[in-house]
Amino acid sequence: MSSAREQILGTLRSQPGLKVPPLPDVMTSASSDATPIAERIAAFTAILNKLGAPVDVAPDMTAAATRITEVLAQHNASSLALSDADEVLAIAQTLPATIERIPHDAPRESLLRSHAGLSTAQWAIAETGTLALVSRHERHRLSTLLPDLHIALVPASRMLATLGDAFVRIGPDGAPDAPTITFITGPSRTADIELELIVGVHGPKALHVVIVADA
Amino acid sequence: MTDTPTTSRNVSLFATCLGDQLSPDAVHATVTVLERAGCQVTFDPRQTCCGQPAFNSGFWQEAREVARHFLDVFKDAEVIVAPSGSCTAMVHRFVDLFRDDAELLPRAEAMAHKTFELSSFLVRELGVTNLGARLDARVGWHDACHGLRELRIKQEPRQLLAQVQGLELVELKTCESCCGFGGTFSVKMPEVSTAMLDHKLDELQMTPIDVLAAVDSSCLMQIRGRLERRGSPVRTMHLAEILASR
Amino acid sequence: MNTSPSNRKANAFHAQAKNALNDATLKQALRSATDTFAERRSAAIAAVPDWEALREQARLVKDATVARLDHYIEQFADNAEQAGATVHWARDGKEACAIVQKIAEDNGATRLVKSKSMATEEIHLNKALAERALEPVETDLGEWIIQLAGETPSHIIVPAIHMTRDQVGELFVDKLGIPPSNDPKTLCAHARERLRSHFAQADLGISGVNFGVAETGSILILENEGNVRMTTTMPKVHVAVMGIERVIPRFKDLEVFLRLLPRSGTGQHLTTYQSILTGTDSAQDSANGQGPEQVHIVLLDNGRSKIAVDEKMRETLACIRCGACLNACPVYQTVGGHAYGTVYPGPIGAILTPQLAGMHEAKPLPFASSLCGACKDVCPVKIDIPSLLLELRQRAVEGTDHEPATKRSFFESMSWRMWSWFMRGPKRFRFASAMARLGQRMPLVHRLVPPMAAWHSTRELPRLAKRSFRDTYKGPSK
Repeated sequence: MSSAREQILGTLRSQPGLKVPPLPDVMTSASSDATPIAERIAAFTAILNKLGAPVDVAPDMTAAATRITEVLAQHNASSLALSDADEVLAIAQTLPATIERIPHDAPRESLLRSHAGLSTAQWAIAETGTLALVSRHERHRLSTLLPDLHIALVPASRMLATLGDAFVRIGPDGAPDAPTITFITGPSRTADIELELIVGVHGPKALHVVIVADA
Repeated sequence: MTDTPTTSRNVSLFATCLGDQLSPDAVHATVTVLERAGCQVTFDPRQTCCGQPAFNSGFWQEAREVARHFLDVFKDAEVIVAPSGSCTAMVHRFVDLFRDDAELLPRAEAMAHKTFELSSFLVRELGVTNLGARLDARVGWHDACHGLRELRIKQEPRQLLAQVQGLELVELKTCESCCGFGGTFSVKMPEVSTAMLDHKLDELQMTPIDVLAAVDSSCLMQIRGRLERRGSPVRTMHLAEILASR
Repeated sequence: MNTSPSNRKANAFHAQAKNALNDATLKQALRSATDTFAERRSAAIAAVPDWEALREQARLVKDATVARLDHYIEQFADNAEQAGATVHWARDGKEACAIVQKIAEDNGATRLVKSKSMATEEIHLNKALAERALEPVETDLGEWIIQLAGETPSHIIVPAIHMTRDQVGELFVDKLGIPPSNDPKTLCAHARERLRSHFAQADLGISGVNFGVAETGSILILENEGNVRMTTTMPKVHVAVMGIERVIPRFKDLEVFLRLLPRSGTGQHLTTYQSILTGTDSAQDSANGQGPEQVHIVLLDNGRSKIAVDEKMRETLACIRCGACLNACPVYQTVGGHAYGTVYPGPIGAILTPQLAGMHEAKPLPFASSLCGACKDVCPVKIDIPSLLLELRQRAVEGTDHEPATKRSFFESMSWRMWSWFMRGPKRFRFASAMARLGQRMPLVHRLVPPMAAWHSTRELPRLAKRSFRDTYKGPSK
């Protein structure tokens, strides 16, 4: 034990007579909202659209693959960095052969120059338009960050109502489910110059979500 | 209108030191208004100041001495009404001043409970909004900070002004912006204090009004001093003066 | 800019504020920025029906945490180490800087990147690292602009709030050799390109921490740009500097704070990214961790533990650094952040700085307020800043057991003694007001008596009524 630790804790314990108010119960919005999935998707879409991120709903994986191919073409993206989620690996197989696929464990240099990244999300949050990615289920840290375009393929069944619902799932026993959990709400942005909103600073310049109806 | 019979109408007037010395007309108007609302008003000439100037300047010992005097003067008052949100808020703060004084703390608490600012006393305590006043003017209202944020007074003066015949209330965007007075702040940092006020007064160039009104003589003193320096035609009036107009 | 960053001092607030008032460009930039943020905040919270309940809850959680900070910070440290992070304890800024420097040297790191962090500003980490040729590249766009300009941040959330697009454009032309531009989008694109190469090569990343979770050892960092994710992912070593008061007890408490912080700060319902990091990837995922191999958390005291055991002041530590009080403050709106001469400006800076740096280092700050209370109304954790300012004013004047009173002029102290005496008896009061009436007939008094001269410099003097209320009141009309 270092002496700095002892000294800091010592100061904190130097006034034992002070009041100790009780810790209140956790306040959570979990399970407070029972809106049907379709409505959740609508709310999620509305928020992300406002932030400049398109959201599509595809009836099945085939349709989703078609949509992803179109989006890649729109962005002139010919290389795609993949997370290691099963859904991502499966759909990547069905994309046109002209698209270079870069696996999650490829060297940093190739990830840095890939045009687009494809991931899923363990949860989506309707209330805030947020994707929640949990590293234990999907190694997502690079493919959702480095490319200019991030495409997320999200099964509709993962659409939660509230932020609280997400906390219950990413921290089932009150502890996070993985070393890294990332919440993503829209493309990277800044307002640091005269508060003018600019999209695409360090992270992706564009986010495109494809929701798959029957996952 | 709500009738709250528990509130006494035997009012001890706290003129405030600024009101007494700088704007006696506003204090006379306060008496008139309270009497029209059915109150018996008494004025105890032993009163001086609430102690706020020293309290806000960090001189709590001196503030305590003056607050102690206030507690003595108003010991037997049933209710105390002041034409100032700031001075009323100070009386409510006596509990901070006497927090380590077992004898005076209960007296400070009791004093806080029976001390009211004019507009909230009329509207909340007496349920009175119409005082039969008339004033032909476009009036902008200044929500003085201590009334607004410590006493939560916002609608009360507006409800009273709404009943004044001929008066057009002009809502200013900057109605809640501080006038920059802040007691000794106004002379310790005069440039900052004035720049804060100018933000408010700049709006008057776009929004024409005849009168800028408030319920605090201190804010009005600051505002008037700057309006005069800027050569503005806008007048200042205390709420009581408007309500006493006929 | 009228004052150079290195010369600014909290004790020079008056002069710095006057300089700011004379800067027309700054005045306009500040007003537009603070107004915009205040409007966005109002709109964002208007859409939250239980806003007051959230504030109440957050404050209760913070109060309970600060009261047992010893317990929670120790629990945090133990759990973070359990998860694979290395935890360091720093009593003050110097110790914290030395720890970061040693981590860099132990790892042979020479290319450092950094994301925005007030705690690292507080301890002047960049300056300390620069002495060892280890100065990190700031990667938040605003912070990077500030770094290129050799400036200091003027706002907690928007560090370059005081600079116009033209000024940023000129800076980029000068420092980066880009073709002339004042288009924020173009400037931002240049920043992206430059900083990407720094990220790609960096061997150590430094970040701050918004919240540390005691029961899990996790840290949460909020951002919009993606530079925090870059900084905490790309280099092999991640060092997070965390004030000990950043800790909250439970993982699920994060929800309430996530609802409050972005709305209060930028008016967003959530910032673009939240990174919740618990130890290292490799501790749980030895095969394929994508993040850094080492995570170090530097727990910074630097005066916080003393505040935690100061019962009247400890609510200061509830602050979540949203910046809402700055945007709401009429003094900040008028003079901006640099006038404060401190890392933490505005109302929160005025209460925090005298406590962290000592009253004698920040004498004017508790007095740099009209006590209007706007800060208290917007604070997401309901810190009663006006009351804390008053408490600090009292301490400055009357001193405490630990700190002597700050020096007052004889004139000031004497004036208040006399004032108190005159205010304690009606005859004395009458005498004093008669003297004042006499005095105001003498024009020289306006110019010579300091408070009146100060008033008269910008405003017409108030005139005492010829006859006071007490001299004209005749008793009840009936």
